[in-house]
Amino acid sequence: MTPAPKTYVRPMNRWWMRHPAYRRYLLREGTSVMVAAYALFLLAGMVCLVLGEAAFNLWRGFLQSPVSVIFHLAALAAFAFHAWTWFKVMPLTTPPIRFRGRSVPDRMIFRAALWAWGIASLILLVLAMRFL
Amino acid sequence: MRTRSHEPIVWSLFGAGGVFAALLGTMLVLIIGILVPMGLGFGPDAMHYDTLRSLFGHPLPALGLAVVISLFLFHGAHRIYHTLHDLGIPASKKIMLACYGSAAAGSGAALLLAGMLVVF
Amino acid sequence: MSQTRTIMIECLRYDPEQDQAPHYRTYEVPFTDEMSVLEGLQYIKDHLDGSLTFRWSCRMAICGSCGCMVNHQPILSCQSFLRDYYPARIRVEPLEHFPIVKDLVIDQSDFLGKLESVTPYLVPAQPLTPEDGPNLQTPRQIEDYLGYAQCINCLLCYAACPQYGLNNEFTGPAALALLARYNADSRDAGQKTRMEVVNAEEGVWGCTLVGLCSEVCPKHVDPARAINRNKINSTQDYFLRFLAPFGRGS
Repeated sequence: MTPAPKTYVRPMNRWWMRHPAYRRYLLREGTSVMVAAYALFLLAGMVCLVLGEAAFNLWRGFLQSPVSVIFHLAALAAFAFHAWTWFKVMPLTTPPIRFRGRSVPDRMIFRAALWAWGIASLILLVLAMRFL
Repeated sequence: MRTRSHEPIVWSLFGAGGVFAALLGTMLVLIIGILVPMGLGFGPDAMHYDTLRSLFGHPLPALGLAVVISLFLFHGAHRIYHTLHDLGIPASKKIMLACYGSAAAGSGAALLLAGMLVVF
Repeated sequence: MSQTRTIMIECLRYDPEQDQAPHYRTYEVPFTDEMSVLEGLQYIKDHLDGSLTFRWSCRMAICGSCGCMVNHQPILSCQSFLRDYYPARIRVEPLEHFPIVKDLVIDQSDFLGKLESVTPYLVPAQPLTPEDGPNLQTPRQIEDYLGYAQCINCLLCYAACPQYGLNNEFTGPAALALLARYNADSRDAGQKTRMEVVNAEEGVWGCTLVGLCSEVCPKHVDPARAINRNKINSTQDYFLRFLAPFGRGS
């Protein structure tokens, strides 16, 4: 056997600068930081709710502050981008769906998911208006 | 013989969290952070302490909230764990424990709080 | 005869006997509308610098040997045209994430090992002889795997996959797509052997669905789909083995 030739392996530093698709990917993954942060924010609300009215009013009062509005606008953008990208790749992760012997095209699955997003949001809004 | 990955456990939680976040997340944030504080479609008494105590005094809403929080945490932990690897912090037992461990701790706390809201 | 213009081609050069690290050299290449990037490289080799080394064979996007990076995009150089980049200069580099042997030539032996590991051939349920006659399939059964069967092993998907670049233990897009191709074939009974590869950390779980592999595939194989659908199968296999220890795929 001939010895393996000397080769050069290029480093991976700042690999996301090499292609816009990589930056979109990291942005998509980055939404998860906001998802986790929002979970912690809700958890804090739960803690305050258990602690009593005074503590809860602090949390409730924070919602009126500009910091909260900025935080929520950022969270809104993150959740919306998450939803869009989540539904976009959904056809890749679901088992093949057949309808009348033909496989359902990706854009149909994507569209159905967008409808589900809209309907779920509407139901949540109606429930919130009824019970909050 | 290749060793089987245990990723299916966290991947399932990540996936469930991703679905919840995608379907409900935007509206949840919109209601809590924008519509209620600005009084758009909601009165000034919306999300009052008494209202929420009685709402989450029922097991179903309380458990639902805890599950949503828990799944969001696992969704975040999973992606953060892998993204740290992408950004040059190699995947390790330590980071794995930190990510999924905090998600598990947060989930435990959420379930405990839900229980307290129902019982007390 | 179309008009001749001149494009600047910046090319990665690496000579293992001379260089510690790669460097770039720029060439002025006259081209006509119908000239591909490959023909640009051939012009350099024929007229400007005979030492430039690159692989190519069929010139018609079927052999899969002329893959390289143009402006960080993995492409087949025979299938990309200089006119589409002009007047900007182009930067030609060897496929990302593979060791460079010389100039644009990469060492693909790691991939070949991975290809072998997925049992990329039909494993019949019982041994067949010619007397058994042809192994027939319906058009619908062919449709199940035909897309995945188009792979030409050009490795553009590996060059597009940062997960492979970050950790080359990962089996990678093309090999996992071929794994799905044989699993989806009605004549095959080798799913059980391949499941071990699927279930491993370096199997489908090495993928984070960046998705660029499917975008760059010149044959529309869609490895991202093949891999992520197998994540579902692997998850089922992971949990169902406790319920049905003697069932399929356990």
